[in-house]
Amino acid sequence: MATTLPYRPSNDSLSASNNRQTSGLPRLSPATSFIGRSPSSSHGSFRRTSTENATSSFRPRRCKAQYPLDSPERHVEYILVASFHIDRGPIMEHQYPAAISGDESMLAELMLPDQTHVRSQDWTMFFLHKDTSGDEETDSADGKKKRKRKSQYHGNQEGADIQDECLDEVSDDPDSSDDEGGEGPPLMYVLNLVNTKQDNTVRRGAVVKAMAICTRHSFLHIYKPLLLLALEDYFKSPFPETLASLYDAVNAMDLSLMPKMSILERHILQSSNTKDMFLEKFEQMIRQREEEELQDGECPPSPKKVSRYALPRDTHEYESKVVYNDIPIPVKIPTVIWPETVGDFSLIKLIQTFAVPHATSPQAFPAHPHLTTSGPFTHPVIVLVNAILTQKRVVFLGHNRPSGEVAEAVLAACALASGGILRGFTRHAFPYTDLSKIDDLLKVPGFIAGVTNPTFANHPEWWDVMCDLPTGRIKISSHVEPAPVTEGLLFFQQQNSLLPNSASSTAHDPTGDTLFIEDILRSISQRHGENAVRAKWRAYITKFVRVAAAFEEAVYGASNLYIIGPGEELSPDSPTGHQTDASDPTTLRGHGYVWTDETAKQRELSASVSRIEGWRNTRSYYSYIQDIAAMYFPARPIQRPDIHHHHDRLRALKLSHSEAASIYLALSHSVKDYAGICQLLTVAPENQAGLFYVSMGLFHPDQVVREATADLLERIAAHPAGRHFWTHVGRFAKLGYIRVKRERDAATQSPVSGGGSPVPTSPGASFGGEPQSLVGVAMGGGMKRRS
Amino acid sequence: MGGQVSKMMGKIFGTKEMRILMLGLDAAGKTTILYKLKLSNQDVTTIPTVGFNVESVTYKNVKFNVWDVGGQDKIRPLWRHYYSGTQGLIFVVDSSDTARVEEARSELHKIINDREMKDALLLVFANKQDIPGRAYLLFLELNSINLSTDPLLDLSPEEITQQLQLTKLKDKLWYVAPSVATDGTGIFEGLAWLSNNVKTQPQK
Repeated sequence: MATTLPYRPSNDSLSASNNRQTSGLPRLSPATSFIGRSPSSSHGSFRRTSTENATSSFRPRRCKAQYPLDSPERHVEYILVASFHIDRGPIMEHQYPAAISGDESMLAELMLPDQTHVRSQDWTMFFLHKDTSGDEETDSADGKKKRKRKSQYHGNQEGADIQDECLDEVSDDPDSSDDEGGEGPPLMYVLNLVNTKQDNTVRRGAVVKAMAICTRHSFLHIYKPLLLLALEDYFKSPFPETLASLYDAVNAMDLSLMPKMSILERHILQSSNTKDMFLEKFEQMIRQREEEELQDGECPPSPKKVSRYALPRDTHEYESKVVYNDIPIPVKIPTVIWPETVGDFSLIKLIQTFAVPHATSPQAFPAHPHLTTSGPFTHPVIVLVNAILTQKRVVFLGHNRPSGEVAEAVLAACALASGGILRGFTRHAFPYTDLSKIDDLLKVPGFIAGVTNPTFANHPEWWDVMCDLPTGRIKISSHVEPAPVTEGLLFFQQQNSLLPNSASSTAHDPTGDTLFIEDILRSISQRHGENAVRAKWRAYITKFVRVAAAFEEAVYGASNLYIIGPGEELSPDSPTGHQTDASDPTTLRGHGYVWTDETAKQRELSASVSRIEGWRNTRSYYSYIQDIAAMYFPARPIQRPDIHHHHDRLRALKLSHSEAASIYLALSHSVKDYAGICQLLTVAPENQAGLFYVSMGLFHPDQVVREATADLLERIAAHPAGRHFWTHVGRFAKLGYIRVKRERDAATQSPVSGGGSPVPTSPGASFGGEPQSLVGVAMGGGMKRRS
Repeated sequence: MGGQVSKMMGKIFGTKEMRILMLGLDAAGKTTILYKLKLSNQDVTTIPTVGFNVESVTYKNVKFNVWDVGGQDKIRPLWRHYYSGTQGLIFVVDSSDTARVEEARSELHKIINDREMKDALLLVFANKQDIPGRAYLLFLELNSINLSTDPLLDLSPEEITQQLQLTKLKDKLWYVAPSVATDGTGIFEGLAWLSNNVKTQPQK
């Protein structure tokens, strides 16, 4: 790597040999990339040709499918039908292609939720722990044979859980050749539809039947229309053939053109609202498919140049269809699926359910250090998140509500506390459960369960926190275990005994949670949408983890939650902003969360100490430690410096010119290749001003810094995802960019009299010659954003 | 806070709340009784209860929160989860189902022997007084006998008392009321007995 590059623009941007050395850099002159980019995203029809450049230079590798055609994994593994027998209660009627094994009557009970007799239709969801062994296919041949392997409902295999939790991020390394890792079985998700039909011809006047789809995909909600059709068919012809035709239809669904993304790419896509982000990948999938088809001679090259495959209108989801009984049913599969995101819940709905009653008449909670982190009037949504983070037993009660509604609330709560970052909540979630499972449920230390039976409210010994959906009130149980006094807590209090007491600071929101909730509620009322709210929660959980890491460093001397980069040392010994090697800007030190000053840090830590300590021996804490170890390389291609930390410093602190200069130089020298740029984009999401803070380097008093920033932005602008970020940069910064480029060109052209530079081939590309048109381009970019 | 006020009002005006649990074998008529209490002058048709029903009924200044729990054999083990805090048990017996009265007896004794139910009042509805006994009907059918009048050969309240071995119970307030849930006969009398006797119970 050309780490000690001279900052003079002449070498950097124009010498092709230099570019080739820095692996992965685009071999584009600044002019082509700039021009190539600008008209591209304004007209959808031009996209294909315009992005070709960037794609080919950045992605020579084959694009892989998330769900390849030849995968042995089926979309749906089992179809089940259960009914309520008037003499015997819930029974299993049919299972296809084979018996799912395990406790049949338990499954049948779950499929027939409480009070299903009072509504004609209800949805439920539940999860099974079931391993995937190779003998499955062979066994299914002899049908009903009982198997030894058991599929278990939650709670029965507590001890093994932490080890065999799947770590699907392992395979996200873009270079890993195969998906085979030592990962445990993913959960089996079950989507269930139950219908009650009044029928005077049968004894006791009604037939209750339920059909369920068992899948390992967390987007199980896409199967809802199919279950509706198939259950209706089953009422007419109650035979295994009805199950078989559904099974075949859903497994014929083709998702093979959906590209696989790395962890950083997924992060960027999810936090962005740009509808054509990473469209190149979809194009490449189609191109690869067409090439394959040409080679196989399967389909002769069509005379028209029209592709048989359509590009997605929005790259956040992939459109496909399932043909059931000759009816094509469109389905949309999310491209990015975070851990702990199951089904189609709404965080907005969950937050509003509990925020509205709190806003009209707040109720005081009994104090609990883990839960009421902002005093008795802590916002109920924060109490809920604290409860899940500290592994309390949380019950959602929806008396007289469909069980589908409580299931949705449970899934939303899992996603809320996870933020897509922490794991281990859905694995201990029971989206819908009833009294018959209570003994198993109570064996689970810390769960999130959905119930419709109000008798749960009469048993405070069964739960720590109860969230009542109809009233929107959260209750802390009188039986909740008091927060233990931990070593960390004592250490921290000793260290900080001299500081002003936290009692005085409770008044002005030391955790920042009150402000945060206000911000969320504002987002909701201004209709920013579900995606924006999810992104904010993700940021909140990210912050929680970073604060926890800072706390661990302060109290224990080291943190499990953060892997410090090479050349970096622990906090007190490694003052932020110092360079260990004066000749290498990337040795800039400092890591972790950024506070404006030490008092702010102490205030926030002392407000959060209890819940951090409460989190520190939970399942999600331990799996997070595993995750950061496993994802260290895929998620952090740039290990030095800590880009997140230094970008936060640009954002949060008033820096001197020299401090800012060292950050800009460090960024420019470390962020070079495709993955590196991705990493920078993840710390500068669109909803947090995007590239604004980076672009401010264009106005630094030092010319070297300005030019380094311009080079960095140029690389970002040529990056398939970065180009979208660049179009969102304000006009002021773009003009600044042009000014820096012009100054540099003037400097290079005057001594060599302009002869040496290769003339870019794109039309209207000569930078120094036509300043007027370039300004137009920049302004065009600005206007486009507004339109 | 609202709860506090209504509790105070309750003390002044004598309204009470009473948690009632209604159990019995499947198809005994529990849900029909519940909805006949709730919607006294409407016809009620019910289907098997999956799980439970719960309704509040106010009668004679007493607010009854009545829980009706499904009765199929397999789901009876769940009954115990409803015991805690229950002040009155309504046990419904299908008087025409003579073949299963022994099964009903054994279930009833299991319930009232539970520690959590020791203070609860026991009201037994000898339900379906209008329907002839199934065994008898079968006998008539097998012998091709046509009767001009309806036979009333199901178990009387006295027989129910005896068959359920209620006299064996010590320290228990109990009462057997004949009922026909489909037309409402007898069910409010049963409720009246509960409200008259709940006074003697310590309020929880």
